[in-house]
Amino acid sequence: MPEQTLFQPLTWSDLLVMAPELALGAWFVLLVVLELLLPRAVSRNWIGGLTLTGLLGAFTLILLRMLESNGEVISLLGDSYRVDDFASMLKLLFLAATALIVLLGLGTVRYDRAVTDKGEYFYLLLPAVIGAMTMASSGNLVTLYIGLELLSITSYVLVGLRRKSSLSAEAAFKYVITGGLSSAFILFGMSYLYGVIGSVQLAEINAALPGALEQYEALIYTGFLMMIIGFAIKIAAAPFHAWSLDVYQGAPTPIAAFLAVVSKGAALAIVFRMMFATALFASPDRTSISSVSDEVFFIVLLVAAASMLYGTLAALRQLNVKRLLALSGVANAGYLLVPIGVSFTIGHLNNMSEFLFYLIAYLLMTIGAFGIHTVVSRAAGHDELSGYAGMYYRSPWLALSMILFVLSLAGLPLSAGFFGKLFIVLGAERAQAYWIVAVMVLSSVISYYFYFGLVRQMFMRSSNGLSGASHSLDNDEDAEEGYGFRTSGTSQTLAAQEAKAGHIETAGSSEQADEESVVQSAEAKMENSLSSSLEQGDGVIRIPWPTGIVIALCAILTLALGIVPGPLVDIIQQLFSFPLPSH
Amino acid sequence: MDFFAKIAWIIPLVPLISFLVLMTLGRGFRKAGVWIGSIGALGAFVLSLLVLTERLKPHAVDYSYNFSWISIGEYSLRIGFEITNLTALMLVVVTLVGLLVNIYSAGYMASDERITVFYSYVSLFTFSMLGLVLSDNLLSFYLFWELVGVCSFLLVGFWYARPAARAAAKKAFIVTRIGDAGLLLAILVLFWNMPGHALDFTMIESVFGGQGGVITSGITTLIALLLFLGAVGKSGQFPLHVWLPDAMEGPTPISALIHAATMVAAGVFLIARTFPIFEASPAAMETVAYVGAFTAIFAAVIALAQNDLKRILAYSTISQLGYMMLALGLGAMTGAIFHLFTHAFFKALLFLAAGSVIHAVHTGDIREMGGIGSRMRITAWTFAIGALALAGIPPLSGFWSKDAILTAALTQNPLLFTVGLLTGFCTALYMTRLFVLVFLGKSGSAAAHAKESPRVMTIPLIMLAVFAAVAGFVDLPWSGWLSTWLSDEVITPHASIVVIVLSIAAGVLGIGTGWLLYGRGKTTSRSIANWMPGLVKVAERKFYIDELYEILFVKSLRVVGICLAAIDTYIIGGVVKLTGAAASAAGRLGLRLQNGQVQTYGVAAVLGVVAIALVVIGRRMLS
Repeated sequence: MPEQTLFQPLTWSDLLVMAPELALGAWFVLLVVLELLLPRAVSRNWIGGLTLTGLLGAFTLILLRMLESNGEVISLLGDSYRVDDFASMLKLLFLAATALIVLLGLGTVRYDRAVTDKGEYFYLLLPAVIGAMTMASSGNLVTLYIGLELLSITSYVLVGLRRKSSLSAEAAFKYVITGGLSSAFILFGMSYLYGVIGSVQLAEINAALPGALEQYEALIYTGFLMMIIGFAIKIAAAPFHAWSLDVYQGAPTPIAAFLAVVSKGAALAIVFRMMFATALFASPDRTSISSVSDEVFFIVLLVAAASMLYGTLAALRQLNVKRLLALSGVANAGYLLVPIGVSFTIGHLNNMSEFLFYLIAYLLMTIGAFGIHTVVSRAAGHDELSGYAGMYYRSPWLALSMILFVLSLAGLPLSAGFFGKLFIVLGAERAQAYWIVAVMVLSSVISYYFYFGLVRQMFMRSSNGLSGASHSLDNDEDAEEGYGFRTSGTSQTLAAQEAKAGHIETAGSSEQADEESVVQSAEAKMENSLSSSLEQGDGVIRIPWPTGIVIALCAILTLALGIVPGPLVDIIQQLFSFPLPSH
Repeated sequence: MDFFAKIAWIIPLVPLISFLVLMTLGRGFRKAGVWIGSIGALGAFVLSLLVLTERLKPHAVDYSYNFSWISIGEYSLRIGFEITNLTALMLVVVTLVGLLVNIYSAGYMASDERITVFYSYVSLFTFSMLGLVLSDNLLSFYLFWELVGVCSFLLVGFWYARPAARAAAKKAFIVTRIGDAGLLLAILVLFWNMPGHALDFTMIESVFGGQGGVITSGITTLIALLLFLGAVGKSGQFPLHVWLPDAMEGPTPISALIHAATMVAAGVFLIARTFPIFEASPAAMETVAYVGAFTAIFAAVIALAQNDLKRILAYSTISQLGYMMLALGLGAMTGAIFHLFTHAFFKALLFLAAGSVIHAVHTGDIREMGGIGSRMRITAWTFAIGALALAGIPPLSGFWSKDAILTAALTQNPLLFTVGLLTGFCTALYMTRLFVLVFLGKSGSAAAHAKESPRVMTIPLIMLAVFAAVAGFVDLPWSGWLSTWLSDEVITPHASIVVIVLSIAAGVLGIGTGWLLYGRGKTTSRSIANWMPGLVKVAERKFYIDELYEILFVKSLRVVGICLAAIDTYIIGGVVKLTGAAASAAGRLGLRLQNGQVQTYGVAAVLGVVAIALVVIGRRMLS
């Protein structure tokens, strides 16, 4: 009975199982206190380093647990917290991604005067990632929701960290509102399910669903629909994605990468677990629930198709790189929803490995692209596509890495994204969902246009008279010297940009803004840079070493997975422990 | 012990690393480029040699390793590498010639400003060629096959400022592409028909060698012919031979490495690797034999009337590759590989020596040369050894490998044997002509200031000359050591006095005729031109093959092209523009949503929910 299982006490051995999460939590508290005690003169990069250490420690703990448990599923607190290979694998991904993002932060936060509390920037990532980990492990709607809120609320703060930028504040505000909307949808859907079945455990919902369907089909329908919509907002799937463009643009770039990878990944993971753990697909008497199951999966595919098409079509006219990456995230959310939506069939059982492989590929290419953008936007002084002009001639290796990420995003060979998409397409084809295959292929083809627009910028456009621009590794003293000038410049630039382009504040004319702001701001920039070259980025591409590490790692792994995807797929498939409840 | 076979996958990586390092360095580091390229080649050579010595032990077991590259459902595509006696031999040939060419280029390319780029391309080529040799399945074989094609394209067009080099690079790429399409089709047909979609050579051998009738004889012949089409393109067989003489526009070390010793032999290697398929199809075997024999005599006749030093050697290469094909078609796989082995040495030697001459006189026209022998003694002597080996004079290597092929021909097909002999005669004749015109006689207009090349170029010549002289002893007619080792079967010695005598006679006769015609001061080819003007004219024009192609394919295709272009511009282009406009309009519409107002976003979300509900309801009503 549900009531009995709900109140199982937590034992010491349970604590051991949750060690990675708990350790991260303790580490977080420690860092908060440390930050308070540290004198102002001490660089907050130390906090970043310690955050990184904590993340890597948790990573190791999970890895050890995985090796030790050998596919065994451990469930705590009456099955509300499950440590299985699905969860562990995702946690490893989240931790690795967050570690990369901390590195990106180390490379950028120093130069970003709009961020006043540089310590927070790092240690707030810890509760966020704990939230994501909790979501991955949850076997219960309440745990799931708590994880989600932990992740979301921390993210709101992170987005607003550029306190001196009104763009950032606006983004945070919009994120809070949309997040609230999402939570409302999710809770609404959950309440229906709970109301009908009387339990919040996924396993029990699974068991009770066939019976409940006979009486309350409409209510269960509504419940699932609302939950999917709520998660779709979090995933930034079209048409629930609109917040993501503004939020990514306003947030510090590494945080945008965090939202794009970890936040999105965690929400996708939860949809995956929810859809498959509630056994909508392979119940023994499938006939009774087949139509509902079918339609719920169909809804997922519908959202996926909308995301792919919208993400690629809207990107055609997008000239701001962060917004472009946000749209690419929308399209990729669509691709990632496909293996969830095509459900299982007799000929097609590896949705899980397709999903995980593409998630890994997506993680690498997105963080890599955002990483490059931190460097390029700093050099250009703005976020527009024109900042990439002639990049090949200024920094050939950076340009080559960018090409690799673009190839991967577009899904062309020699990149991880190619195999990721290929596996998903083949999976959908075997599940006989041909229309979604057609949508995937179509949107991929359209996407080549704008992805290669970026490549064209890097190779065929001259860099607007940025003479003497050359690729040089960052020199710390140098950077510190230029500090005072550049920072005042940055905030002024932002103000100018907002005033001129006004794409967030002004209603109605934003479509134009998106297209024309670039021209305007570029013109403005040219004037500015004529008057005082220090106002803007000086066009010199400097790669701080942490960013360099991130870009190199992502590029190498993207290429490696693009050449030999086999071993990773094998590992995933070996680990494949079905996220089904053990009942 | 098969330790070195197990680590053979490192061999191609060594030149790959040199390539990457050279790419990173850029053009500045000229000396470093030479060293890095050469050390990479040396490393690969040493490892290959170790693998070979391991294979020389009796009862060495073939080693193969593969892993799952891509798995889709139950099907898993495996790639890996395989060490057999054949691949071990090829490894050594490729890396040895590669190493010597690397050393030689240090002198030959010394004054080129892009020498580092040159070395990086050569390293990339070596990597691809080694990958091709080591591949244990047709798919990765095909990838590397294309990659060597790309390297050949890059290197033929290395001096891209010269229009002729650009045109030659394009021609080489496009013509071999026809062959590549054949290979690709062969792989596809195999993929559909093989049990379990296997593409690895071991599986091919067991399926086709087993005579199990798994694959019908029609399909077998189809596959074999398509594979042969691939080999025809890569190995410059008639009618796709036209690219190879033009490819001589590339730097001479490249002609030696790619267009004499290694890449062009890849076609022969391909057939040797998939030999069970050919053996299962008599029709395909006959095609291979006749095409090979025809190419052999055809190219040899053209070589008689050419005036460019490197072009003559190129036609000679085509002719000798025809010999190898002939051997394959007769079922004498070991004979073909033996000839490939000896040919790699003496032809690389001839090219490098020719390069040494060209380096000294700055022209490739043999009519302007003459009397160089006294000025460039090492070049002349080594060239002479190579020429005699090619002409089939015992005891040099070429004699023994030709003998193996001719013996096989005599027992099976007297017609092909006669063609082989005639080719041998022509070969001796054109090589005598070449040698006499270039090295003997009066000093020509360009040869007055010729000086011997630097030691970095002559040492590789001397080493290759040694190999060209002695490489034949691995498989004497009465011992057959190489054939036994290659085929793992006991080969009965095949010595045939008739063949030996006739083959020597053809060679000597050729040299004698050549001496009569061109020696003793008759320094022009006019003498035979007067004697048989028609044939010489036709041969000079290369049997008008290029002109024929120009009319048959280029011109007629151009007409088709113009029609298609019109359709493309007006119909397809219109559709594309329409699609583009539609997509862009949709994007514009999408951006209207993106107006920066959260209220709008909320409305969009709610409308989205309604839309989804409507679609689901509509779907339910329809079904």
